[in-house]
Amino acid sequence: MIGLFGTLDLASNSLSVQEEAMEVTGQNLANVNTTGYTRQQLEVQAATPLQTPIGQEGTGVEATGISQATDALLNSQIQAENSVTGSLTAQQTALQNTETSLNEQISNTSTGTASPSGITADLANLFGSFQSLSTDPSNLTDRQSLVANAQQLATEFNQVSSSLGSVNTQLNQSIQNDVTSSNQDLTQIASLNQQIIEAQGDGGSANDLEDEREQAIENLSNYVNVTATAQSNGGVNIGIGGVTMVSGGTATDSLETYDAGGGQLQIQAQNAGTHLTLSSGSIEGDITVRDGALATLQTSVNTLASQLITQVNGIYSSGYDLNGNTGADFFTGTDASNIGVNSALANDPGAVQASGTAGATGDNSVALKLAQLANTNIPGLSNQTFSQSWAQTVGDLGYTVSEVNQQVTNSASANQMLSNQRQSVSGVSIDQEMTNLMQYEKSYEASAQIVTSLNQMLQTIVDMDDT
Amino acid sequence: MRVSSSSFPDSFIYETNQLQNQQNTLQTEASTGLTFTTPGDNPAGMTQALELQADSSETTQYQNNITQLTNSATTSYDALNGLQTLISQASTIAAGVDSTTSTQQLNSDATEIGGIIQQALQLANTQDSNGNYIFGGTNVSSPPFVASTDADGNVTGVTYQGNTSVASSEIAPGVTVSAQTLGANTTGTGPRGLITDTRSGADLFNHLISLQNDLTSGNASAVTSTDVPNLSKDEANIAYQVGSNGVVQSTLTNTNDVATQQATNLTTQMSNLTDANLSTTLTQLQQTETSYQAALESGVQVMQISLVDFLY
Repeated sequence: MIGLFGTLDLASNSLSVQEEAMEVTGQNLANVNTTGYTRQQLEVQAATPLQTPIGQEGTGVEATGISQATDALLNSQIQAENSVTGSLTAQQTALQNTETSLNEQISNTSTGTASPSGITADLANLFGSFQSLSTDPSNLTDRQSLVANAQQLATEFNQVSSSLGSVNTQLNQSIQNDVTSSNQDLTQIASLNQQIIEAQGDGGSANDLEDEREQAIENLSNYVNVTATAQSNGGVNIGIGGVTMVSGGTATDSLETYDAGGGQLQIQAQNAGTHLTLSSGSIEGDITVRDGALATLQTSVNTLASQLITQVNGIYSSGYDLNGNTGADFFTGTDASNIGVNSALANDPGAVQASGTAGATGDNSVALKLAQLANTNIPGLSNQTFSQSWAQTVGDLGYTVSEVNQQVTNSASANQMLSNQRQSVSGVSIDQEMTNLMQYEKSYEASAQIVTSLNQMLQTIVDMDDT
Repeated sequence: MRVSSSSFPDSFIYETNQLQNQQNTLQTEASTGLTFTTPGDNPAGMTQALELQADSSETTQYQNNITQLTNSATTSYDALNGLQTLISQASTIAAGVDSTTSTQQLNSDATEIGGIIQQALQLANTQDSNGNYIFGGTNVSSPPFVASTDADGNVTGVTYQGNTSVASSEIAPGVTVSAQTLGANTTGTGPRGLITDTRSGADLFNHLISLQNDLTSGNASAVTSTDVPNLSKDEANIAYQVGSNGVVQSTLTNTNDVATQQATNLTTQMSNLTDANLSTTLTQLQQTETSYQAALESGVQVMQISLVDFLY
């Protein structure tokens, strides 16, 4: 039998445990809106019983620890999905910028409000001008119109090329920024590991630090695909692309960019000096678009411009202008970045070499051949016409954008489901915490009532001596 | 499944975001009238739309070409008509000459033929609205027919300074037509010449000059035996040229009809491909707005309530 004072201790311990449980509840309620917070619960058990002649007798309750309601598998899945989302979102942003760079707009046939623009419309205007000139080869107005439309097309090529170059630069900048952010996360994870290992080494728990570390890992997984391996001492080792970046409390390596040629940044482990092949994360997303869809598009635009220059000049240079001069080129430059129109033509449209015979200003044979280029299948464009080739290029980019858009939607949905599942396990429920609060409050009141009763009993005993 | 306090707000944000995206898409569709505006919206549709757009521009250009060629053909026709009338007048004068015709009449006829030669020369050097000589082949910048005259101002000879090439223009993919009539062709190949042509035996100016000379010299028998048959050849040749011009104009009209029909078809195809069905779009927009309002109202109600509201 534990006696009155033993029972008083039991009640006192119970009060402490209920108070501590209320503190944990308070912590949960306080962090109900904290991102990444994992709800905590006080682990309690019946205190060690005493052996008495009538059998074991309980000595009350004791708190054994504060645990987190967490699911390591879910956390791991969320890290992986974060990387996928990071990659897809980066791809989506880059591809949308690329799409905007093309400036291809279709017209509304019903209202006629939006006029078509872009290379398609400019190509049509150029070949239309060659056609007009072929019907009246000596007409200066038609010649001026041709030169203006050719300049418009050349400028459009220059702008598209420049915009695509800017997207490339932005992607390299984004890769650089993400590497910096990743290294900050790696340093933070190592630091948190150190604190957690120390706290757990002292036999305590480090729940809030673990939440913070999980947040840092998930943040890192947005940039790169990470392998997080839990250690028995409480630390988590981080690997990227097969290279260990964080081991326990030490950031053993970090990411750095290097120029793989032409200013195109790649990633390597700084200390190991190893090229890292990433499979997901925003850095991988940026590299995928830069070296994939964007590079393909830049090549296509340059090929189109280059073929246009070659084909037009090939016909044009044999023509004669109104003064019988021949041999000049119509387009200057070699690709989309530097295509231009022979500057002599801007000031003297009569210098357009539309005739196939010197002195025959009514000869339109060169202008006609140039006009007929519009429907010529060009070997250098996979045997497509200029407009077909460009429509195909735009469509190909569209397929990539559309696919990534769909994948982003799917990934967002998967993320939402995983987040819901984690909330279901780790999230704080005000209703649940309030119910717990009531429960702990009533238990506290009951324990306090035991103290009151014991106090009265002890008073009775004291009063017995007085009588 | 356990529901935490942040489950509702998270799902609420996700769902309302989805609805807002849908609203934005439908709103863009309603305001632009287009079912897609970027390649990513509808890649296959965008490819097709760009090709239709190029085809449409090309068809419009062919229609412009046809208009330009029709104007040229009409200008040629007017000149051909004038020349035909002049040849007819000359033939009538020549046919009226015989051995009984007085010298005075012959001189008067010669003077009249001199006038016809001048008028024919003007018509043979007709220019279009842009100042181009239409019967000089592709040499359009200078008069194709240059006359030499004697001291009295009579035309004694006319030389052709044009060439024997004509310009053709496209009126449909791969289809070229020339609305030009060549002034002279003595090569025996290519388009027939209007004034001079070896295959038809036409040589209008020389024939008229010869007639004028025979009338002046009172050689009535030469008029009947040589000049009248020669003018018949010129008459036949000009009739051929008028007929050819008619064929060209007819071809242009027919091709323009086809191009107009094709332009309509292309517009219809483009419309079917890109135009938003506004009644459907607006109905869907209304439905999405209703869903959005419902989500907001239910969300606000659910998020306002917790056990705290019922305690104490």
